[in-house]
Amino acid sequence: MIETGIPKLDEFLEGGIPRGNNLLYYIQPGVDGEVFGMQTIYAALKNGETGVVIASSSSPNNIRDQFQQFGWNIRLFKDKLIFVDAYNSLIGAPSSEKYVVSDPASISDLDKTIIDAMKELPPSTIVFVSLSTIMDLCGEKETIEAITRWNRYACQYNHVSVFNFTAWPYSQDTLDSLKKDLFNAVISIGGIADRVIFGQYFWVLKSDWIKETRRFMLKSDWAKEIKRSMLFKVLRPGGVRLFVPKILVTGPSQAGKSTLVRALSAQAVAVDWLGTTVALDHGHVDYKGFNAEVFGTPDQERFDHIIKLLSSEAMGVFLVVDSTNPRDFARANQMLDITKSYGLPYIVIANKQDLDGALSPEEIRKMFNLPKDIPVIPSVAKDKSGVFEAFEVLIDKITGGL
Amino acid sequence: MSNYTLGIKELDNLIGGIKKGSNLMLIGPPMSGKELILYNIMYHGASKNENAVILVNNREPAKYVLEWFEENKLELPLSRIGIVDCVTRTHNGGQVESETIKIASGPIDLSCIGVKISQFFDNFFMKKNIREIQLHINSLSTMLMYSNIQTVFRFTHVFAGRIKAAGALGIYMVESGMTDEQTIAAFKQLFNGMIEIKSENDKNFIRVVVEFQSKPTPWFEYEIEKGSVRIVG
Repeated sequence: MIETGIPKLDEFLEGGIPRGNNLLYYIQPGVDGEVFGMQTIYAALKNGETGVVIASSSSPNNIRDQFQQFGWNIRLFKDKLIFVDAYNSLIGAPSSEKYVVSDPASISDLDKTIIDAMKELPPSTIVFVSLSTIMDLCGEKETIEAITRWNRYACQYNHVSVFNFTAWPYSQDTLDSLKKDLFNAVISIGGIADRVIFGQYFWVLKSDWIKETRRFMLKSDWAKEIKRSMLFKVLRPGGVRLFVPKILVTGPSQAGKSTLVRALSAQAVAVDWLGTTVALDHGHVDYKGFNAEVFGTPDQERFDHIIKLLSSEAMGVFLVVDSTNPRDFARANQMLDITKSYGLPYIVIANKQDLDGALSPEEIRKMFNLPKDIPVIPSVAKDKSGVFEAFEVLIDKITGGL
Repeated sequence: MSNYTLGIKELDNLIGGIKKGSNLMLIGPPMSGKELILYNIMYHGASKNENAVILVNNREPAKYVLEWFEENKLELPLSRIGIVDCVTRTHNGGQVESETIKIASGPIDLSCIGVKISQFFDNFFMKKNIREIQLHINSLSTMLMYSNIQTVFRFTHVFAGRIKAAGALGIYMVESGMTDEQTIAAFKQLFNGMIEIKSENDKNFIRVVVEFQSKPTPWFEYEIEKGSVRIVG
């Protein structure tokens, strides 16, 4: 097994990538995903493997600099790190690498150089830093045919090949065959976006070598799918680091925010005075393998600046309302407006559904004039009823519907 | 009037501002001063309208852009400026990244350029809470020198969509002499307006057409004086 070096991903892949196999990092445009391939090659080098970088989008020296920016000292592995230079000829610059593609826009030149390297080198971890650049230069059909050959040779010579691919709007056929047919494993790397991309996640879309029974179980169980996804940040230095999202719980006084935070959390801390929260509720949710920090906001308008402060850090919002108390809906709307201005995904929790006179979720939707895609989840937070369902729905919204 | 204006009052008065989510092509012949017009729109957006402005520059290093503003005594609020420098690294320049400048690995690495743009969007929108953001691409024609039309089209398609979703303003510069008519026509379908520049008898003219107006503004003759655009006729 060759470890990917990405935290948690090796666990999802049951140890890493078996020799002779290949893996695609399928990256949404604008998401900082090319680090995944680089981190994988650095992990291989650290484990004593030979690493081969196919440099098609920038020069080998640039890529060496990028390793340094991540704090990865590749000088230690000088003899074990080999570059196939498929860039410098494009800009007419000389190259001192062992393998140089004379015309990177010609798939046959590229193909020949890569296959030569595969035949000559010992079993290695080969990383294509930018498959999309190859596709842009050589054509979609030609590149797909070449990938099939590269994967065959890699298997024959016991290499592990890893591809970074930015999923620009190529033809649907191309994108489908990349996601479904050409690789043993596909890791989707996406952005959490509403109006702008404000968070990033990776997710195991496919992996051939995970046992059949487990794959079946994963497919049939949405919650397990969540378990195979993680939010991350890219640090320089540091590389890919897992990220625990903050989720905000807001709503008017006595709507049940603190109760919700307590119901969701394994451990919760509340600071209140005469039953009303004057500072922050805080809890840590660990549900079906998905972690999040949950923060409740204070009710009083004088603390609205705290909602703003938390919103700038949060990734999703629960608006909790007391279903029996429509008089407070105006304040609820006001609190929601503050968080909405940050473009965060949100859902509404219609709490206290067990009480007489509770409005139905549909009635609440009408009163708030909510769009159809905003879920209103019925709940009795004190009995933990509906709270984890709401959590799953919000995570689903944050990650764009895994 | 919308929070997106060009800073050329004769044109702004006629079009009444540019609506959020618009993508405009700024097109003109070589030596007509269109780059300076782009910089003026950038200065006006950041200094007067207090918008954030992201400039993707594949024509010259970011430090030269900032020097131009300094030389012309146009003080840019740097906390609202983001420049993606696509040139320096290819030239082995010593520029390091800062809050204002991000260095892309090269002009053909559109994935890297896209990541840098997204990072600026995240920084301005989520962290600095700035709701009006302008993205200026200088230029599509230079991108087309390094990558084929389909590649640049896909890139522009993605970011024109992001501009729309974010309620931002996108301005994409095109060199009319450098880019053929067919390519320009293909890109036009991604945009909902144009800032057009023409040169006649050593004089330069500008007009604007936006999709929510039935016809273009008249042509205005302009001059660039101490870095600023001045309508003279």
